[in-house]
Amino acid sequence: MIPTLGHLAVLIGLASTLYAAGAFVIGGRSGDTAVLASARRAMYAAFAMVTIASLAMVASLLAHDFSVLYVARNNATTTPPFYSVISLWAALEGSILFWTLLATGWASLVLHRYRARLPALMPWVGATLALGAAFFFAVMAWPSDPFVRVTPIGLEGNGPNALLQNHPFMGLHPPLLYLGYTGMAVPFAFGMAALITRRTDEEWLAVVRRWTLVPWIFLTAGIVAGAWWSYAVLGWGGYWAWDPVENAALLPWLTATAFIHSSMVAERRGTLRIWTHALVIATFTLTLVGTFLTRSGVVNSVHAFTTSGIGAWFAWAILLTLGVALGLLIWRLPDLGDRRPPGAVVSRESAFLFNNVLFLAITFAILFGTLYPVVVEAATGARASVGAPWFNRVNAPIFVALLFLTGVGPALPWGGASWTTVRERFAIPILAGVGVVVAAWALGVRDAAPLGIFGLATFVLVVMGDEVVRGARSRARTRGEPAPVALLRLTTRNRRRYGGYLAHVGICVMSVAIAVSATLGSDQTATLRPGEAMSLGAYAITYHELVTEPLASDPRVIETRAELTLAGPQSGRIATALRDYPNSATAIATPVVRTALGEDLYVTLLSYNPATETATLRVFINPLVMWIWAGGAIVALGALFAIWPDRRRTAVEAALAGA
Amino acid sequence: MATPRPRGSMLRWLALPIVLVPLGWLLFTGLGGDPRNLPSPLVGKPIPVFAGTTLEGDHFSSADLAGKPAVLNFWASYCIPSCVDEHPVLLDLAARHGDEVQVVGVLVSDTPDAARGFLDRYGQVSWPNLLNPDGSISIDYGVTGPPETFFVNADGVVVSRHIGPLTRELVDEGLAALGIAP
Repeated sequence: MIPTLGHLAVLIGLASTLYAAGAFVIGGRSGDTAVLASARRAMYAAFAMVTIASLAMVASLLAHDFSVLYVARNNATTTPPFYSVISLWAALEGSILFWTLLATGWASLVLHRYRARLPALMPWVGATLALGAAFFFAVMAWPSDPFVRVTPIGLEGNGPNALLQNHPFMGLHPPLLYLGYTGMAVPFAFGMAALITRRTDEEWLAVVRRWTLVPWIFLTAGIVAGAWWSYAVLGWGGYWAWDPVENAALLPWLTATAFIHSSMVAERRGTLRIWTHALVIATFTLTLVGTFLTRSGVVNSVHAFTTSGIGAWFAWAILLTLGVALGLLIWRLPDLGDRRPPGAVVSRESAFLFNNVLFLAITFAILFGTLYPVVVEAATGARASVGAPWFNRVNAPIFVALLFLTGVGPALPWGGASWTTVRERFAIPILAGVGVVVAAWALGVRDAAPLGIFGLATFVLVVMGDEVVRGARSRARTRGEPAPVALLRLTTRNRRRYGGYLAHVGICVMSVAIAVSATLGSDQTATLRPGEAMSLGAYAITYHELVTEPLASDPRVIETRAELTLAGPQSGRIATALRDYPNSATAIATPVVRTALGEDLYVTLLSYNPATETATLRVFINPLVMWIWAGGAIVALGALFAIWPDRRRTAVEAALAGA
Repeated sequence: MATPRPRGSMLRWLALPIVLVPLGWLLFTGLGGDPRNLPSPLVGKPIPVFAGTTLEGDHFSSADLAGKPAVLNFWASYCIPSCVDEHPVLLDLAARHGDEVQVVGVLVSDTPDAARGFLDRYGQVSWPNLLNPDGSISIDYGVTGPPETFFVNADGVVVSRHIGPLTRELVDEGLAALGIAP
């Protein structure tokens, strides 16, 4: 009954989105507000339908209704309720359902908020969003039906993918990432609407900047949460492996970040306009490519859970999207010329331009590295792969250059900078950077990567600090405000600028943490008998015994724990385990991570021998790792600060709207 | 539009096929792949030579395989449950085809005592098991982790590889590739 209801809701949702797309086009051409209102309501209805379908799926999972194939494959009678609920996105069909829920949610939100504004653009925004949603409904109606039934009904299901039920973070990482992915449809829809209606002026940019930043925050948080999950669950001591699916999330993030920067130039200076449109198109297309890579079995990945028939659907969707979008862009090229001559070589806009070129360079490098195996296979039939060292080597120099621009860009004036300005702005930051490098050298740091990043990060932070102090001081002087008030007003009245600075601070924190953790960590592997100890750095780890028992929360899972005592800067009893899941051929690691501000102690059980009671442990000291997560949080907070509604400006807008 | 279009403006439409045709080719040829299918670069090549001491203390090397198809099984006593699951499959293979193929076990970073304990518990075997304490054989064969199995033909050429526990079906497939009727 409930699954049938879900299936029915999907079909009604498909019909509503198709109706909405048609009605938006008709209403857009005729300007008939009644038709447009009905199109909008059809999108709300689609959102309601996919909400019903998602609830039906969650109810089936919680009830362990194994008559539904998806439930039989991804749930078991012993699965705890929390993992039953999040199994909604544990496998392909459920993920598509969840994706559609979020996509129609974003669409409804945008259509509702702008129901009385931007009357020329909104019908085409609606039509684009409706067609996108219709595609996902169609995928659920045909190749990836989440409510397929099975007979005879099994008494027990397969249980969720072992990796996905091993850590509560699985409840956080995919929703954040999907919110980011699906939200990128909104700027794309505005971009298409602007091209269709030839309103490629600054109006759409102002709206789109905000609507790119919102999903961008989710995408950023989702990527960082994914790295954290990988660190906390996979037991290899690292957090980023350049896995194709990690790359697939990073690619739209890179182009969206490039867009956030280039749109500032397009808005302020009227240049880089073709470029800005192209980035919006690229970002949305890359979210589709990401899904294609994850879900079609094209590339090898820990994320490639299933191979399915949706590959061809996504391939056509990518080609169609790119074809139509590029076609529109080419058609409107004559409208998109620069509004004024490009700025001087040393100016803020050229810093932004370089920034964009570098972001694109990283995007292409990662896209190439990810697709290279597919190209080789298509051409020669052999499978190849590009390893993490290749990605690190290619991307590290580009990234260093980007970090440098992070410092340079904001301090340069628009239009062009004189030599005096350059000297005045950068002399102290450069000296500070060099000073920190020398100090780190004196303290014994010899690796080039952390030394370089320390210097650059200091440079960037001092430039921004100088900017803030300069601004606050001049405000305090001209308005006679006390320093803290001046600082507060300066930043809250220019949120975009100072939110951006805060995001850059987060990037600096992350860069330092990544460079240090990648080069200055240490690790050791040892096979111990009960009572024996091993040491690494200032830590001593004593192994006591192996304990094998079923998990309290899910007795089908057998956990083998090595009980340990830790002594050193952190101490206490810890246990690191391997878990055997009935549906997984390999045991899943459950590493123990002791986090401190300075370093993490990370112990993972590689293997054990029940006969001799020996345990093979791998211990890592990972310096500064928690600052990677903290840096990610600062980036997200900075962006949130930037888009936080300005009370004064909202009041003005409201007054204008009312007038 | 009143203003004349710049010369060559139609050429810009060429961008469309230039982007879409290769992309389409790429997307569609990539389809239908199996992500778990990770063929070894060794398939179709002669096996890397190996030599070592067995659990019984005898010498055994790749030269001893000459002229006979072989099944090289990398395993370890700590690999639970996979190696336990495939153990009866290997015993069954040796019982059915022991005169046609030579089964060889190679231990993956395991101790002789632990390996003997495993065999005591799950069933003694008739085939040699190489100790390989330095893991050199695993490295030469690019073993990702136990259990992993290579099917080698009479000419000493790797015909197929399987990662993960063997099943009766997988064994029969591997044997068929060696030209041995199950």
